[in-house]
Amino acid sequence: MTIVARFEVSYSQCLDAAGRVTGVLPAFARMPADLIPLYRWMVLARALDQRMLTLQRTGQLGTFASGVGKEAVDVGVASAMQADDVLLPTYRETGAQLVRGVSVEELLAYWGGDERGSDFAVPRRDFPVCITIASHCVHAVGVAYAMKFRHEPRVAVCMIGDGATSKGEFYEALNGAGTWKLPVLFVVTNNQWAISVPRSTQSAAATLAQKAIAAGIPGEQVDGNDLIAVRAAAERALARARAGEGPSVIEALSYRLADHTTADDATRYRDPDEVARAWQNEPLHRVREYLVASEVWRREDEEMLAHECTARIQTAVQAYLQRAKPSPAQMFDHLHARLPAAYQPQRDGAVRGE
Amino acid sequence: MKIFKLPDLGEGLQEAEIVTWHIQVGDMLRADQPMVSVETAKALVDIPAPFTGKVVRLFGQPGDIAHIGAPLVGFEGDASEADTGTVVGRVETGSATLPQAPVAPPAATAGIRATPAVRALARKLAVDLAMVTPTGADGVITAGDVERAARILAEVGPQEVLRGTRRAMAQAMTLAHAEVAGATLMDDADVHGWQPASRPMVRLIRALVAGVRAEPALNAWYDSRTVGRHVLDRIDLGVAVDTPDGLFVPVLRDAASLDPAELEARLAKLVAGTHARRVPPEELRGNTITLSNYGTIAGRYASPVVVPPTVAILGAGRMRDAVVPADGRPAVHKVIPLSLTFDHRCVTGGEAGRFLAAVIADLERPD
Amino acid sequence: MPAITLVEAVNLALARALADDPSVVVLGQDVGRDGGVFRATLGLLERFGPQRVIDTPLAEQLMTGMAIGMAVEGLRPVVEMQFSGFAYVAIDQMLNHAGRMRHRSQGRLTCPMVLRTPCGAGIHPPEHHSESPEAMFAHVPGIRVVYPSSPRRAYGLLLAAIRDPDPVVFLEPTRLYRLFREEVEDDGVATPLDHCVTLREGSDITLVTWGAMVHETLQVAAALAEEGVAAEVIDVVTLRPFDLDTVLASVARTGRCVIVSEAVRAAGFASEIAAGIAEHGLLSLFAPIERVTAFDVVVPLARLEDRYMPDRDRILAAVRRCLAFG
Repeated sequence: MTIVARFEVSYSQCLDAAGRVTGVLPAFARMPADLIPLYRWMVLARALDQRMLTLQRTGQLGTFASGVGKEAVDVGVASAMQADDVLLPTYRETGAQLVRGVSVEELLAYWGGDERGSDFAVPRRDFPVCITIASHCVHAVGVAYAMKFRHEPRVAVCMIGDGATSKGEFYEALNGAGTWKLPVLFVVTNNQWAISVPRSTQSAAATLAQKAIAAGIPGEQVDGNDLIAVRAAAERALARARAGEGPSVIEALSYRLADHTTADDATRYRDPDEVARAWQNEPLHRVREYLVASEVWRREDEEMLAHECTARIQTAVQAYLQRAKPSPAQMFDHLHARLPAAYQPQRDGAVRGE
Repeated sequence: MKIFKLPDLGEGLQEAEIVTWHIQVGDMLRADQPMVSVETAKALVDIPAPFTGKVVRLFGQPGDIAHIGAPLVGFEGDASEADTGTVVGRVETGSATLPQAPVAPPAATAGIRATPAVRALARKLAVDLAMVTPTGADGVITAGDVERAARILAEVGPQEVLRGTRRAMAQAMTLAHAEVAGATLMDDADVHGWQPASRPMVRLIRALVAGVRAEPALNAWYDSRTVGRHVLDRIDLGVAVDTPDGLFVPVLRDAASLDPAELEARLAKLVAGTHARRVPPEELRGNTITLSNYGTIAGRYASPVVVPPTVAILGAGRMRDAVVPADGRPAVHKVIPLSLTFDHRCVTGGEAGRFLAAVIADLERPD
Repeated sequence: MPAITLVEAVNLALARALADDPSVVVLGQDVGRDGGVFRATLGLLERFGPQRVIDTPLAEQLMTGMAIGMAVEGLRPVVEMQFSGFAYVAIDQMLNHAGRMRHRSQGRLTCPMVLRTPCGAGIHPPEHHSESPEAMFAHVPGIRVVYPSSPRRAYGLLLAAIRDPDPVVFLEPTRLYRLFREEVEDDGVATPLDHCVTLREGSDITLVTWGAMVHETLQVAAALAEEGVAAEVIDVVTLRPFDLDTVLASVARTGRCVIVSEAVRAAGFASEIAAGIAEHGLLSLFAPIERVTAFDVVVPLARLEDRYMPDRDRILAAVRRCLAFG
């Protein structure tokens, strides 16, 4: 008997939970101060997340999926992308969408129940939130195909969770992407939980990254709470894709610090001690510690940043709360390029209030 | 008790002042209903009910400082029942128990069987579908059937729609026919003894009054809905008047109180007014018993129609010479044929008989 | 002008679209090297190359989802599902994403894709190759459902579908693929979508149908003409959005309607048409609307296939019942 294939999956980390450097720092992080813009995004993402939670609790926002704990993945990946790349998010990439240029008001509008929130003013080619699990993996393959077809140096970045890697569309997408060597990056945020189903029940595979190998493409693991490691891995994968070397899978190990959604109660199925321990690994803390230890960040900077975030968010919240309710016509006006005559009476009736 | 704690209101604030409670203990709240207004350093915020439930305790008074994460409102129920039972949106929990016994549908009735197009055709051709004999399978009226009926109607000319008094008569008689259980008693009154100056109409009215005195049951209103009657003291006599415009029944109010001269005068006025169409609607309503002297035209005996709510109508036919037995030998006397229809739902044969006997007795008096 | 079959007309339209618009791509299983199992994509790989005529792995969700991603990013993909029985899994992507992309983004992103698949029974195949899923697609908001019945219409409608800025499900009647020929000019002219086509005029009864059943229905109309009954035959063509007005105008003249559909009876598209007539044309009717459909059973294997589908005799019987009523 001969061995015809072997595989290995690497894991990387640059900053440990306490903010100490454990790996070789990549170019973008050589100077600690270079991390400050990224850290600012993470703080904004966390602040917005908290605000959206309280808006939901006070009846001003619909069901919302908190991303507390995945700020390093969101900011690390999104900040590595180029403006004309395409992000295909799930419903838990609010932080990544922020970095991509989706406005706070647009995010609030979407989660407040208005489709106009997905008509992004800035990242015009990014996909809207995908609620169905892993459906957008195959969309990403099509997007990447179009990019390669037109010889564009652009990449499709598809972000999913650990549960999504069990879906058929995930496997089909990886397989297709590998077959055609497409410029697409699949980022799996393994936050250990698919609602109440833990990672151990989700798959017998030792890593989720190794599912890439089954599709013939590279897959690696990274500490998902480590901004630097995530960004570095994303940069490498994006560079490969842009150079025509095809797709990659990054599995970012993290933890879902909040409930699945605001309508979920994770205390029904999670050990509070486990959650408490996970908080000790959370991503903002280690970056802050590193910046403070590097003497490029002070308490006053933190306070000022908090104020700025609050003010920026508050302005958007005010605008959001004052938005007029959409007209019933909104249900019809973007159904087709031009509304077919068959539906015009329904539109008229809806607008009249029948 | 399910305890709802003051949620994080953002902006790093740790507490808020309770300003106004919008609820009280015992209230049944809907999810999202505003419970309390609290003031932070920045703003006044309403806290909505987190779910549907009954309030059993309020933690704090207006003016108290509430801390984030501290109990705010207690709801009825198990503390462990904080389960929202969903992962997206909100699934309303109601406490009403709905009875859900299905009802048996009523038995199907076979009505007029015609398609909408045939019905529309019938409407267009002014054909009453109830008059059409169906020739289609299963008793279905076809377009051809409707057209056939229309042709027949065309031959007989356009239908004259009854209006005014004729219409009213049609409607009243339809109702009467549907409701009243009429029975008719007939007899003759031998009036050979009348004084020459006797006025038949006046004598008839007087005799009718005598009849009512003998049997008040015939001067009544019957209500079929309640199966009840009003036996009336006053006699408001409906007098049938035939005019070129149709049948009218003006009412002679309190006929029993009028002496013959008044009777005659009132009657003349009523009849003249009727002919001239000057009788107001009120005077055509509310009769308690009716008199129809059709004998002025023709006819001997009849079965006049009782119109609800009255229960009796006395008809008088043409006065004639008749051969009657007198003292054991034939004699020629003037007789008035009488026909009394009574509503047998409310009046017995005996009452009717006694009424008629009294009428005849009064009529046979010389004056 | 050559007379060609329906599947040749599909091939002609695809070639035309690929030639005229560099953003058009064709993808599916076996569409490249093999030219498609029904030869619908014959010769396209040789003419347009593997970037534009793409053999995909065996993965319908990948194919459909990819088409969505391609369309959003500005290509005009035409994805082939090898048989409609395998297309059910694509309903998820069509319903949840293709039909929603424009609305979800309020017009910022659009999805000009075509999903084409051979449909219908009558070729005596193994199980799952005889499906009529049109009602399921017709129930999906945001997409169009088109079902040609002749070579010329297939050519024009496929061009229209490819050029349409929104998703189109293009159902091809397998049984008619090679059954007859028609002259089709390769003029690149698209047939307008969203309209029924009246194939035969008549004043006695309206026959409404689509797909392969058009063939039998026209034969029934010809037979009726010999008996002195003038039947009007309407080919629905676009099931969604449905052109009810054409059917109503016909029923207003004839007063009688028989709808012929190869799909199962319950909740089929014939029900939608009957409901529309009942709602807006009730006063024109002299008889109940008849539906001639397949039985509400699983499509049988080949030995009973002919008894399962509506045939000329069943259509005629329904027409006679309708004419005799009232």
